[in-house]
This record gives sequence, C-alpha cells and structure tokens, in this order.
Amino acid sequence: MRITKRALLLPALLASISPVAFAQNVPYERILHSQSEPQSWLTYSGSYFSQQYSSLKQVNRANVSNLKVAWMYQPSRPVANLESSPIVADGVMFITEPPSTVTALDVRSGLKIWSYTPNLPEHVVSIGLYATSRGVAILDDMVYIGTADAHLIALDAKTGAARWNVHVADNVMGYAMTGPPLALKDKIVVGIGGSEAAVRGFIDAYDAKTGKRLWRFWTTPRPGDPGAETWGNGAAQSAGATTWNNGSYDPDLNLIYWGTGNPAPDFNDDDRPGDNLYTCSLLAIDADTGTLKWHFQFSPHEDHDWDSDEPAVLFNTTIDGKPRKLVGFANRNGFYYVLDRVTGRFITGVPFVRQTWASGLDANGRPIKAPNQEPTLGAGTLVYPSITGGVDWTSPSYSPQTGLFYVSAHETGAYFIKGTGKIEPGPPKGIVGGGGIRALVGEQSYGAIRALDATTGKRKWEFRLLSPAWVPVLSTAGGLVFSGTDEGNFFALDAETGKLLWDIQMGHSARSNPISYEVDGKQYIFVTAGNTYIAFTLP
Amino acid sequence: MRATGRIRVAALLMALGAAAGSSRLALSSPRQDTMAVQLSPDDLQRGKQTFESTCSTCHGLDGGGAMGPNIQGIPFRLGVDAVTNVIKNGMAGGMPAFGSQLDAQQIRQVVGYLLTLSRKDEGKVTGDAASGKQVYASAGCASCHIISGEGGNIGPELTTVGQLRGPTYLRNTLLFPGTDLPQTRSFLESGGMLEFLFVHIVTKEGRAFEGTRVAEDSFHIVLEDAKGKFHSFRKDQLREYKKEPGKSMMPSVKGKLSDTQVNDLVAYLAGLKGAQ
Repeated sequence: MRITKRALLLPALLASISPVAFAQNVPYERILHSQSEPQSWLTYSGSYFSQQYSSLKQVNRANVSNLKVAWMYQPSRPVANLESSPIVADGVMFITEPPSTVTALDVRSGLKIWSYTPNLPEHVVSIGLYATSRGVAILDDMVYIGTADAHLIALDAKTGAARWNVHVADNVMGYAMTGPPLALKDKIVVGIGGSEAAVRGFIDAYDAKTGKRLWRFWTTPRPGDPGAETWGNGAAQSAGATTWNNGSYDPDLNLIYWGTGNPAPDFNDDDRPGDNLYTCSLLAIDADTGTLKWHFQFSPHEDHDWDSDEPAVLFNTTIDGKPRKLVGFANRNGFYYVLDRVTGRFITGVPFVRQTWASGLDANGRPIKAPNQEPTLGAGTLVYPSITGGVDWTSPSYSPQTGLFYVSAHETGAYFIKGTGKIEPGPPKGIVGGGGIRALVGEQSYGAIRALDATTGKRKWEFRLLSPAWVPVLSTAGGLVFSGTDEGNFFALDAETGKLLWDIQMGHSARSNPISYEVDGKQYIFVTAGNTYIAFTLP
Repeated sequence: MRATGRIRVAALLMALGAAAGSSRLALSSPRQDTMAVQLSPDDLQRGKQTFESTCSTCHGLDGGGAMGPNIQGIPFRLGVDAVTNVIKNGMAGGMPAFGSQLDAQQIRQVVGYLLTLSRKDEGKVTGDAASGKQVYASAGCASCHIISGEGGNIGPELTTVGQLRGPTYLRNTLLFPGTDLPQTRSFLESGGMLEFLFVHIVTKEGRAFEGTRVAEDSFHIVLEDAKGKFHSFRKDQLREYKKEPGKSMMPSVKGKLSDTQVNDLVAYLAGLKGAQ
C-alpha cells in the first residue's frame, strides 16, 4: 500500500523538486552550520543551541498580517495531540504521528511521500505520560525515532524503510520514548521517559550507522556511585530523573546539555531524604565518552513534579566586556536561570512567574526553601506555580537579534496533596505519584508570553493570554515572535515590544514547536493545531 | 465551525447557575444516573483509588484539572457510554487509551466515581412536588427553562437537574442566584464555558452589553444577553471588559414567592431526574 502510493506520487514530486533537492543527505556538518541554511530546519529546536529561532525575514512586522494557510495535513486516523516538531531538509518534511509513526511530506504541497509505522505491542505501557512523539532526528541519509515502547529505529530517509531497530529499555517496566533524538557527529543520543512508573533515568548514545550502543549515563546513582549519598535512605531504589525531551549541544566544548525530571515518587518524599541527584537538573555530558562534566540541580529534593526537561537554550554574549558562553533555562519551578555552560557555574536566577516555594536563590543558585510549601495530607498546601510549573516542556525561544528570551509562562498555583506511594519491585501497576494536586478554580489562572533579557532575566514585556498555554515559541529575524494559546489561537507579536500583529483561531491549540522554512523563495511558518499540521505563507 | 458548535452547546447553559452542569444532561441518556446507584460504596471507593493512581496526574485528585483538563461532571455532559469509550480507547487531545490497562469493571467504577464529583445533592425535600410544579408554571420559570421539551431557551434545561443538585443548593440558588456558581477551570478544549460568568462590556464606540459569557479565547469574547441573543467581540475593540463573579442573569425569587412556595418549587426541581 505504502509503496504503491509512493510510486503514484513520485513522478509528480520529481517534476517539482530538483534531483539535488531530493538527495536527502544531511551530514553532521550541515547541522553544525544550520545557521547558514535557514531554509531548512534540521534539529528539534532549529539548531544545536535550541534557540527556536529562524533567521528568515521575508515574513516580517510589515506583512505578517497577510499570512494565509498554504496547506494542511492530517494523519489518516485520529491521534492524540500532535506535539511533533518537523525536520525540514531538501524539500521534504519529516513529522511524527502518535504514537510512533514517521511520515515524510512534500514541503510545497503537504502531500505524503511515505509513512512508516513500527510494530508496537498490543499493550504499550504509558504511565504518567501519553504515547506521543515530539519528532525525529536526521543525520546523513537516515531519520531516527524513539518509540512508545522504547525502541530506537533508524529509517532510510528517502523511502522510510527500516535500517535498524534497537531495544532501548523495557516498556513493561514503564520506560517509554516521546522525545526526539539528538543527532551529532556519528551518533544518536536519546533520553527516556517513565518517572511516574518509578523507572531510573538515563541518556544513551548509539552508533548512527549500526545502532550499537556507545555509552549510557544513568541519571540516578546506585550504592557506591557518585551522588548515592544524596539519597538518604540508600540509593538502591533511586528512581526518576528521566530525560524525556531533547538535548542541546555545544560542538566547541563537545558537551551535550540535557535536562532531567522529578524524583519518584513525586509528592511523597518519605523514602528519599536528601538532594536526590541528578533529578531536576541540567547535565553537561561529554559527547564522546558519556561522562558527566558538570551538573546543576535546579530543585534539590523536589516534591512538586517540577521536571527540568525543557530544552536548554545556549547563547553567547558579553558580560563586563568578556565574551561568555551561557545557558538560559526557564525552569518549571518558576525561576529563570543563567549558567556558564563551560563550568556550570550559576550566574543569575530570577522568578519569571509568581512562586511561593523559595525565598530566593543563594550565591550558588541553590533555592532557599520557604517554610510550609511541601505537599501535605488532607486538603493540601497551596503552592505557586502549579504542577504544570512556570512552563513545562514547551520550548522557549531566544533571538540573537533582540537578545531576548521568550517563554510562554503559566501564572497559576495548586493545592499539593501528599498521599501514599511506595516503589514496589516488578512492573508498575499505576502511577507511583504518592499524592497529587487540586487545581485552582475559576479565573485565578492566566498565561503570558514574556520577553526576558536573556542575560539578566529582567522582564522587558509581556503579552497576556486568557489561560496558561502549552504552546512553544518561535522567534524570527523578521522581528516576530510566534506562539499560541490553549484556546486555539495562533499569533505573531512584535519581538521588540510584544505588540500583537496577527492572530488566527485554528479550532484547537498548537502543541508542537512552531518552525519556519523556505522553499521556492517563499518563507513558511508551520505549526500544529490539535490533529492538523498547518503551513502558513504570504499570498 | 467549532465555534458555532460551542455556541450551540453554550446556549443550553445559560443563566440559572443552580443547574450548572445539568443543562447538558439533555445530551445524554436519561438512564445513566442509575449506574452510580447500582455501584456499591466499595465499587465507588475502588473507582476513587483507580482514578487517583491512574488519572489524577492529568486530571487532578478532584477531577478539576492538572496537566490535563477539568473533567468534573463529564459523564453528565457527554454520557456514561461516551466517557467509558474515551477511557477505553483514548481520544484526540492527548487522552491515552486505558483499555488494556483497566478492565471493564474498573472503568465502570471510575465512571461511577466521576459521577459523584460534581454533585451537590445535600439537603432534604420538605415541600410538595406537585404544588411546586404549579409554582414553576405560575412564577414564569418556563419562560426561560426547558423541562421535557417544553419551555423557553434562555436558561439551562432542567429536565434532569435533580441528578446533580439537591434541595440545599436549589433553594440557595433560587433565593441568591449567582452566589454558588461552578468554580471550575474553563473546559476550553472541549468547548463551552462552565462558570456562567456574568460579564459587562463597553465597545470603543460606547455601546454597553451585559450577559453571561458563553465562549472566550485570548482575542474574542461571546456573551448571551438577557434576551438570549449572542454578541461576539474582538477584545482589542473594547473600551471595557469586566468579569463579575457572583452575579447572575436569573432574578431572585426572594420576596416574590412565600417560603412554602419556595420549598414546593425545590421539591419539584429536586425530583426532576429524567425519564424513569
């Protein structure tokens, strides 16, 4: 069926795409220098620096109000929310359809070229997460997907045929892959999900050609490992610190930057006194060896489910006349952090939403915890931010043009309630949460796109939204910031001032990274709305 | 298209805060409330446990929303069969399929538990339902509310209001409309605003409007006025947009009906549970 369809489409496609364009070869050097081909979108967040920034500027402040729908694509069967950030290379777009289907589309028309669906078991375990996919990685002539049952599969980029398929972790134990792989040099780096099933997190690297595992870094220790002393009752059962989103990469330092999730159980901390390394942290890992260069723990001994899995944004700037290599991180715990990405040293941290759990950060960036902000039995404790955090996994954006960091912020709190929760041996029977939350009601919550000075965290402007939004952000050299609302709006703001320039009601909220690409001299803005992929361009 | 659908559903939801949620009972099978009755307290307790261990990360311990949407009262809005189907097979919007994780009895218990989450059924009936039906007719309630297909469409339908609302809540709302409106988080993605929020709007041209919010996004607001007419605005075209929690479009019966009449009316409404 698939081959027949492709055979029917190929002649038409070949007529409109140059042979060179259809070569589908994206070597490491192209990704490394992605800023020199803004017509493409070669990684999850547009570049190894995860800036969610496009240097295209055909669509700009003056004409963005003319944006029109160019084409739409819908998966052939109903799926959960599309959260896939597309990869665009040489006239072809690679998207995923939940749970683990990869589809190649013609970027001009939206027509399907091929589609690959792995053989998932009849019963896929998805505990504390839903079996979505946030996209693929591309390297040379292959695309890579992590599947709902925790396999990593390499596909031929031109045909969708499987080249290799490796078993990353045991889905029966709650391991699942929803995040996009990170392709660099000759290897594919992946994270893993399943904290609410009380799995132990890790980051893996695989040989891009063969699928052979090159290294694994466990994100929680076992007795005798570094960090074991931070699990007060012993590290034998340390669990969590899953790595379910995408990482960033600095090729000069050869360091991968990857965030980790909450400890397990989430809300009942009785059995895990201590800081619980390396949960809720940013890890800097040597790409060749998988060894830890440094770590920064945003939320030591975390008990509000505030993962730190958002992609870390890398940027270079000058402080006090000295060039600096930095990381910007809008954390789910409500603070925006700036770290030195060479050393991991804390530079600054300021709340970017209302937060009540810390009276501040000390000189090393460690939170000074406020009293009585832990989950409690019964009615619970009102804490800001809510379980969804100041922002969850949805990518922020950094514009080198403005020096601003744009984040879709959640202004809301919740009652955190402690319950019973023990980690049991064997396959999980349900969420090992040890409690839960009650959301605030009525009109007490709202969202906002906030523009922060990336180096200081100082707010420059905000654009208020009716409700907290789960929509990533894109900034462009056209002086624009694109994002959406949970009510279904997609919009463009002036990147300098936050002024609204264009909006459209799409009928469902966007959940994927908005991206931009160019083909035939036309710039496209691309995003999902519920079950639909939508490409916008100027008439 | 979707906005239109949302407005149509919202049209059923107007004015009488007392019946919050019940207005959509017309969309569902009138027999569905019997399910909770058939479930034993032990079943409901097991449903609560399953809900807390499987559903609460996304929907909150009270179903009021967390990572995912508020689902309080959803079996009343969508029907027991539809909710069972969604739990079993998942749905677009991020809801996973639990058909292979939970068996039929566990799903039944969860739905039964969900049915209990949005009820406010406290209080005892002290009046006479037959007399209350007369009061309902003479006081003009039917000019705004539909019962069993008869009546006006300004306020929410009351055919099965007794499933969700008991005498204490009904009496309070008849006397003090708007004081106990639902305080749910907006159920935005599935359409419809459930808070019966009273809003006051003045356009840049100086035209003023009041009514109940039926739909809203970050850029638009739709309200229904006292005559049942919808008005839709872009927010950047407004001079003033004020939300007034606690107010309601429904007039109070205080001073208009005697205590006996109120008790009888409460008895009548509390007994409205759909076709038996």
